[in-house]
Amino acid sequence: MAYVSMGEAHRRITEYLNRFCDAVSYQDSSTLCRLLSFSSNSPPLLSLADALNLFQDASSLIRQSDKFSEYGEILAHLFRSLQSYRVGNLVEAYLAFEKFANAFVQEFRNWESAWALEALYVVCYEIRVLAEKADKELTSNGKSPEKLKAAGSLLMKVFGVLAGKGPKRVGALYVTCQLFKTYFKLGTVNLCRSVIRSIETARIFDFEEFPRRDKVTYMYYTGRLEVFNENFPAADTKLSYALQYCNPKRERNIRMILKYLIPVKLSIGVIPKDELLQNYNLHEYTKIVQALRKGDLRLLRHALQEHEDRFLRSGVYLVLEKLELQVYQRLMKKIYIIQKQSDPARAHQLKLEVIAKALRWLKMDMDLDEVECIMTILIYKNLVKGYLAHKSKVVVLSKQDPFPKLNGKPVGS
Amino acid sequence: MNQGGNTQAVAPMDPNSIENRYGVDGSQVHKYSYQYSTGSDSAPWTGHSAEHQAVDNGNYSNSNYYHPQPTGPATSNAQEIPNTASFTSSSTSGTANMAQGYSGYTPYQTPSDPHNYSNTGYSSYYSGYQQQPSQSYPQPVGAYQNTGAPQPLSSFQNPGSYAGTASYSGTYYNPADYQTAGGYQSTNYNNQTAGSYPSTNYSNQTPASNYSNQTPASNYSNQTPASNYSNQTPASNYSNQAPASNYSNQTPASNYSNQTPALNQGNYTSNPYQNYTPDAANTPSSTIATATPVHHQQNYQQWSEYYSQTEVPCAPGTEKLSATSAYSQSFPVPGVTSEMPASNSQHAPSYVQHWGPETGASQPPSQQSGAAVSTSNDAYWVHQTQSLQAHHHVPPQNHYQSPLEMKPLYETPFQGHQRATYPQELNSQSSFHQAPLGYRQPAQATPSVDTQRVSKVQIPTNPRIASNLPSGFTKMDKDSSAAGAAQTPAYVSVSMPKSKDHATAMPEPRHFPKSLRGYVERALARCKDDKEKASCQDALKEIIMNAKTDETLYTRDWDTEPLSTVLNRNVTVTESSSTLISSLQNKSPTRRPKSRWEPLLEEKPFVKPASTFSSPVKFGAWNHQNENNKKNSEIFQKVDAAIGFKPTYSGQNSAKKNFQRPVKRQRFSGGAATAIDDEASSDSDKDLTPYYSSAVALASSAEEKKRRDSRSKRFERVQGHNRGNDLPKPKNANVGNVGNLHSRRATALRLSKTFDESGSRAVEDIDWDALTVKGTCQEIEKRYLRLTSAPDPATVRPEDVLEKALLMVQDSQKNYLYKCDQLKSIRQDLTVQRIHNHLTAKVYETHARLALEAGDLPEYNQCLSQLKTLYAEGIEGCSLEFAAYSLLYITLHSNNNRELLSSMSRLSEEAKKDEAVRHALSVRAAVTSGNYVMFFRLYKTAPNMNSCLMDLYVEKMRYKAVTFMSRSCRPTIPVSYIVQVLGFTGAASEGTDEKETNGLEECLEWLKTHGANLITDSNGDILLDTKVSSTSLFMPEPEDAVAHGDRNLDVNDFFTRT
Repeated sequence: MAYVSMGEAHRRITEYLNRFCDAVSYQDSSTLCRLLSFSSNSPPLLSLADALNLFQDASSLIRQSDKFSEYGEILAHLFRSLQSYRVGNLVEAYLAFEKFANAFVQEFRNWESAWALEALYVVCYEIRVLAEKADKELTSNGKSPEKLKAAGSLLMKVFGVLAGKGPKRVGALYVTCQLFKTYFKLGTVNLCRSVIRSIETARIFDFEEFPRRDKVTYMYYTGRLEVFNENFPAADTKLSYALQYCNPKRERNIRMILKYLIPVKLSIGVIPKDELLQNYNLHEYTKIVQALRKGDLRLLRHALQEHEDRFLRSGVYLVLEKLELQVYQRLMKKIYIIQKQSDPARAHQLKLEVIAKALRWLKMDMDLDEVECIMTILIYKNLVKGYLAHKSKVVVLSKQDPFPKLNGKPVGS
Repeated sequence: MNQGGNTQAVAPMDPNSIENRYGVDGSQVHKYSYQYSTGSDSAPWTGHSAEHQAVDNGNYSNSNYYHPQPTGPATSNAQEIPNTASFTSSSTSGTANMAQGYSGYTPYQTPSDPHNYSNTGYSSYYSGYQQQPSQSYPQPVGAYQNTGAPQPLSSFQNPGSYAGTASYSGTYYNPADYQTAGGYQSTNYNNQTAGSYPSTNYSNQTPASNYSNQTPASNYSNQTPASNYSNQTPASNYSNQAPASNYSNQTPASNYSNQTPALNQGNYTSNPYQNYTPDAANTPSSTIATATPVHHQQNYQQWSEYYSQTEVPCAPGTEKLSATSAYSQSFPVPGVTSEMPASNSQHAPSYVQHWGPETGASQPPSQQSGAAVSTSNDAYWVHQTQSLQAHHHVPPQNHYQSPLEMKPLYETPFQGHQRATYPQELNSQSSFHQAPLGYRQPAQATPSVDTQRVSKVQIPTNPRIASNLPSGFTKMDKDSSAAGAAQTPAYVSVSMPKSKDHATAMPEPRHFPKSLRGYVERALARCKDDKEKASCQDALKEIIMNAKTDETLYTRDWDTEPLSTVLNRNVTVTESSSTLISSLQNKSPTRRPKSRWEPLLEEKPFVKPASTFSSPVKFGAWNHQNENNKKNSEIFQKVDAAIGFKPTYSGQNSAKKNFQRPVKRQRFSGGAATAIDDEASSDSDKDLTPYYSSAVALASSAEEKKRRDSRSKRFERVQGHNRGNDLPKPKNANVGNVGNLHSRRATALRLSKTFDESGSRAVEDIDWDALTVKGTCQEIEKRYLRLTSAPDPATVRPEDVLEKALLMVQDSQKNYLYKCDQLKSIRQDLTVQRIHNHLTAKVYETHARLALEAGDLPEYNQCLSQLKTLYAEGIEGCSLEFAAYSLLYITLHSNNNRELLSSMSRLSEEAKKDEAVRHALSVRAAVTSGNYVMFFRLYKTAPNMNSCLMDLYVEKMRYKAVTFMSRSCRPTIPVSYIVQVLGFTGAASEGTDEKETNGLEECLEWLKTHGANLITDSNGDILLDTKVSSTSLFMPEPEDAVAHGDRNLDVNDFFTRT
């Protein structure tokens, strides 16, 4: 930290105060954003922080001028937060920033136009990021992390400010997305529901009028929620929407979307091209796709085991596991095709013994009861058409389309 | 407000603007009344009907309600002045008609001088008021009185009674709709009540004191905001009046006078109205059609409740049972009210509070209605008894045309109202959610007489359903389980008075029929007077008659009948129809399990509602109801004696005479607390100290009373200042809620104050060590008792003793309940001393295992959550074993994918190697893929207690498997294969051979109960016919299902444990 003279500190602080007040009075949102953006670690902010730490009595400076003292509460909390942030006391920084955010939102509520929306976005973003950092600090100190939760409720408050009628409504989706991020991180995904309801049921504001980036984020998160619920058609539409409108340059975002969209597509019978997996570095799905193509149960299980942690964390494990039935279907189809080549007349009769043998080749040891059980399930779920003759241990396939394709519908529908 | 409303009403009739409407309505109503008074022309009636309809138009949902009302008046009108066509037209008219109706109104007014009208109207009003009870009255009256109070007197009586009843229905409905009317109320009210009433029959019928108490001007003034109500009431009054004129012709004034007593009662209830009006005030702006609809519905419901209550009183009135039923209804009402607000999101806050009071009010109204109804009750009875009159009633309601005898008609309209309201009421009471449905039903009921009857029957059922629904209620009463509350709102309330009966009856669902019998016997036994007995018997007879005629319906509804009808039904059951009893038994089982908890619920719900809801109001209402009930019962008796209307009226008169007496009786019937109740419940006392009286009335036992008293005192302490107000009901309600909050907050504050004076210290920084108790008790055995105060070290066992206690429990041969109790007390002692070590883990583990063994999942969950924190703190224990349990639990019971994923991802590599965890993971895989073969193999090889958790899923898995098989396999599957694959092993058999056959038998039994189709082939093997079975399979309702999930935890055990 370079040495800063008292006069220099005073100058910097006053300059900041001037710029802040000017930005507010001229409704200059972009300047305001720069002034509030902690996490950008911009040099002016850092030097201001140093100056504040040196000067210590910034609040008297604020009080000196009427112009500053109008925003005294906002600025005082902001300065305190910046100070703590600079010295690495993130919990303190968060607490002060929370107070600042409250004051700012209060002020924002009084501004009739929505000029400061961008600045509000910055505040929402910063408070979430700061809360995450503060929680990290708390956990490292052995305390229970709770700041993100607090940030969530503050964001909810902001959402309340924006969700009404009027020009500010356009910002509601951004806050919603921040809330989603918070809730997903906290694991309190069920809290998303109320926000979603208010977004989707509000008829006063067309969803399409929200900014595109927010729409994409929103669709991504709601799509993920649908994956949790295993509502694949809905997840498909939402995630496809997100993919379609996502900025193609943002490969990371596209990859995130694909991470969920691919399992969803797989479970409704759509298999991606290898290039897609290659291009977006989604290697964890390569083997699974192969297994589906080949009807290789063993490969599927290996792939699942190999990336178990990753799949569990992202929440697609159960979805991928359910692909097993499709793999079985593929296997049956292969047996059927082979039988057809050797003996077309009796190809539609699959002996359980034969299936068990095929599975044994895959190192899947199953006795006839289990094979029968699986065939029962396949028939029940309409992945195989036909019936199972228990007595003769034979699956009799329908002569017409014995292995119906999913065609975009989930299994069992 | 009042004045403004009045002026508007009087002066200009602007039917055009909706907002004006209300005001207009009020005015119209007045005018109508005038018109009626002057010369009951069919036109006026139409006007009324139009108004009603108009209201309907405003609120869609309301329309249903309204219809009943309009029909009522319409019928009366039709009878009197066969303008059926006009009525019908008006009724049919939609919103558009509203305006028309208004216009129509104005014309009506023109013919006669407003003043004259007013006079006549007043008279009619009076009559109406009397019955309608004070509340509605006052508002309209005010305006009327101004015009000419004196005149009404003459016309009054005659129409009064009828009008009263009619008005009741009308008022109830209307009130909600016409909120603007409020202004009318305020001024008029006082005047009327004070002056006009006395002059007329009122003085005779209802004690002046009552009126003054009930309808104090102050109250009204308070209420004035409820302008809407007043409007409504006027409408009702009008309807009343119109009929009244007819009535006067037809029916002797004496009858009316009888009815008027009811009105007096109504006065008591008037308080509720006041409350009501505040609501209206809250929502006054809401006059908008959309907003109002909700209100209307609510109001209707409430009204309906009143009706139902009145009904109840009628049947049970003589009996104590009836009183109880009324109570029960009232109870639900509060819950409803609370919920209602929720539904009305916008108005919710204000509503809730108001509603509480309103409900109370509503009850009184019901009482009033009961009294008023008394006339109507007669009709009711007729209906119930299915006498000719009842039939008459129905037709009129349905088609205004039916020109029956004047008297019968009158009655019928009333009945119609009541009935119509009934369904609504019931619905509303029982379930808020259902309320809309209930509304529909009422509407339906009105159309056809039969349907009406049905509706009656159904209504009871709805309430029960509703009872389940009243989640809102449950919320209010945290202690009381929602289900319990839902189930036995009525019971609970009933139980208050008859706690013993209910307690015994409810606890043992299986024996319920018996208990019912006993219940009836007791009810009879409690009859201290011959009169009561007679009335009781009469009620029983009627019930029986109804049951016979409507047997099918009753049988169907038995489950859900508890509220008002229950009493009746019970009586009937006990007395005669064994079939009914059987039906009860059959249907009751599902409910019964829940009922087990009723004893607990009874206490808690009562107390809490009282506290939270500003019970005073309710209580007051209760008392009123009781009185009403008594009256009603008397009336009923008389009615029974003489089916004729007049007799009934006389009955009412007698009721008046007996007025105070009845009250006492009811209280007696109510239960142990009777003595206190009697004292407290005196009419004057009620008004003055509704709070106490209510509390007292509810208290079934001395202990409860004490508890309640202390509680109420607590509230007083907290919010004494609030209570100083004249409006006991609303405030009390507020006080109740606020009081709870306050007290809670207060304690919290105290705590925080002591610990953090600076205000910066977090809760976690509090020095809990200083508060920790060090136990000194050396007893190994200790019963669990939930702490209600700071623990006494003398009763807390130190760690070494607890260790012995744990060993003792582990070695104990006693049943799970005993062990559970002991373990809970050990846990408590550990918690109190803040012991967190291996012993704690051991205790929780032991308890969790025992709970699993017994299938007590709630207890298991408690333990598991504690264990999780203990393991997280690094205490070893058998964490892996419980990780497996937790996995299994999530897979098999919570069915939450996210939870499953997160708990799977939390498993360490080491954990995944553990046998139990691996087993659990395989079970999960088998379950998610539906692999039943795998599942049952794992079931047989389960380590630890894994199989206990799987046990609970076996049924589902088997069902799934058989569905799969029967869908996929053709043509048959041998049952022996199913036995093998689905793990049927037979129960507790030794030899292997025996085991197999046992398994087969068990499997056959299982398949049969699940609707499988079995055939036997030539070899004598039993096969499952898959094609047939694939469509016939079903999941039977578990016969031994119990609310708490374990049939072993029979209530009897709790009682025998002592």
